Amino acid sequence: MALLAAVLIGVLLTEQTVFTAYSVTLGRVALVGLVALGLTVVILMGELDLSVASTLALAGVVTASIPDLGLGILAGLAVGVVVGVVNAFLVAVIGINSFIATLGMLFFLRGLALVISNEAPIKLNNVEAGIAFGQPLIGPITPRILVFILVFIGLQIFIARIRVGREFLAVGGNRQAARDAGIPVKRRIFTGFIISGVVAAGAGVMNTLERTAADPIAGSTVLLASFAAAIIGGNYLKGGRGSVVGTLIGAASLGIIQVALTLAAVQVPIQQIFIGLLLLVAVTTDPNNLRAVISSIRTLRTGRGKVAEPSVATNRSTSS
Amino acid sequence: MGDPLTQVNALATSEAPNKEISTGAKVLAWMADNGIFVLTAVLIAVAVIGVEGFASLQNIADVFHRAAPIGIVAVGMTFVVISGNYLDLSVVAQVATSAVILIAVSNEYGYIPAILAAMLAAAVFGIVNGVAVGYFKANAVIVTLSTTYIGLGLLRFFSGGSIFFGPYESPLASFGAGKLGPVPYSAIVLVIMTILLSLLLTRTNFGFTVRSFGVNERATRLGGTNTGLVIIGAFLVTAFSAMIAGFVLAAFSNTAVSAMSTGYDFRALAAIIVGGTSVFGGKGSVPRTLLGVVFVSVLTNVLVLLNISFGYQQMALGFLIAAAVSIDALARRAGKK
Repeated sequence: MALLAAVLIGVLLTEQTVFTAYSVTLGRVALVGLVALGLTVVILMGELDLSVASTLALAGVVTASIPDLGLGILAGLAVGVVVGVVNAFLVAVIGINSFIATLGMLFFLRGLALVISNEAPIKLNNVEAGIAFGQPLIGPITPRILVFILVFIGLQIFIARIRVGREFLAVGGNRQAARDAGIPVKRRIFTGFIISGVVAAGAGVMNTLERTAADPIAGSTVLLASFAAAIIGGNYLKGGRGSVVGTLIGAASLGIIQVALTLAAVQVPIQQIFIGLLLLVAVTTDPNNLRAVISSIRTLRTGRGKVAEPSVATNRSTSS
Repeated sequence: MGDPLTQVNALATSEAPNKEISTGAKVLAWMADNGIFVLTAVLIAVAVIGVEGFASLQNIADVFHRAAPIGIVAVGMTFVVISGNYLDLSVVAQVATSAVILIAVSNEYGYIPAILAAMLAAAVFGIVNGVAVGYFKANAVIVTLSTTYIGLGLLRFFSGGSIFFGPYESPLASFGAGKLGPVPYSAIVLVIMTILLSLLLTRTNFGFTVRSFGVNERATRLGGTNTGLVIIGAFLVTAFSAMIAGFVLAAFSNTAVSAMSTGYDFRALAAIIVGGTSVFGGKGSVPRTLLGVVFVSVLTNVLVLLNISFGYQQMALGFLIAAAVSIDALARRAGKK
């Protein structure tokens, strides 16, 4: 977090346009940020959801392929619910590592989006509504930004204030303890994946509305960017530690940095390098990780010169 | 099965807690271990009988030719997966970097400096990933995600995103198109890599430690092994395999561009999982990954021959991953009961 503050102060001093042109910045933050918010709920439980990018694409395609706009939006959101349920079933009931379960879904849903769309972008039937959706409502607030803010407030209240939401952190912190305390862990996992699925689907629907077309391969960059936002925002990948506010800060800083770098005429590759370095520093300077480094340096100092092989062998046979 | 680790695994999954195991559990455990052999055999049999154009020497050579780059990445990445670190996303950047370096540098200075430069790049990738994961205990997914950004960013910056062409009729181009009898050189490289890496994993101290690390990280560390070095080693093996895959890929078309290896990360992981290497670490082998690569490539080839669109191919791949891992997870659970 100190890292973020330093970067943001640097931006503030050098590129003040970022903040005066905040409508641009907000718009840039909204899509990735929205997906990242949904992802946060799953990460808090110590799980991952790689399928968000494909969910986004599939929901967009479904929305555009149904002539009636209202029905289309509903169907798009329903895609998110179904994806969430399937993910949670694979993770909570069958017991697959969520990383791999959602990796399978990532391929499957992208394939499904390609099949439904016949491998070509679909034009939205009701183009006027799409264009209207992109217009600002009050000041610089377009509907997309409004939805982003509402989802943020909703999730923040859910995780910080409502009991079911707070239990997510318990599930991520220590699953066995959570189970012993009477928390229905499986049901919480279902809720979490459904939230992340619906939020990603919502992002897909909005993306389709704004572009008045659905691209079956949309969102391929969103996956990595939304992960980056959640991690930079201080969410601990093993679960139990983190917050929705953190993700908001992470997404906002990434967006601000990107806009600032673009305004400063920095080439896209350099921007990539910068964000990559930021992410690497963020993940390696996590307090827990630093403790691990210190302890491993200590082991190096004391444990040098021991013969590894025989002791490994004895350990293995006793531990099994 | 003289290998102690395999025995430990077998003990842990199938025989350990209770003597009485239901037939269902046995079937599941057998499927988790051997399903891929049956599936591959069935798929090939069906393809030979039912799919026109599959059973020609030309087509089969072509399948292997196409499978080579992704296969080489996958056999290398098996080390990272077996060590219990999920995957190396940065292979995307690594393959492209090595391909671009090979062609761009060899155009100016010849092949030896080009290969040395590519090796240097691979070493940097492997060491940065390995130090961050092994010593800083950072999550491998995020570390390799950030090195992907950095690597691709650097590559695009220095290459300007442009396509590099090798000289017409260069040794590289003739290697890319070359064959030994009916077997393309690229397939031979894949097989040699599989054999070498398999020996490295099963016959050396290093390979043994990688596997024991995947089985029980704590025990391995308490046993006095420098686990940080082992992780660096696993990422280095992946990086050098990705480098060779980049060479092979560059030889195919005698061109290189920074976007040429998009999707290699998850596709390689898919082949590893389908082959039966467990993502929980410790269990799996390099030849299994080769089998996974063969299965996925033959399946893709069959679907292409049957004129089935790319969308359905992706769906099939996704379904396969979920099915393969579900069986593994159910077998583990059934074995525990």
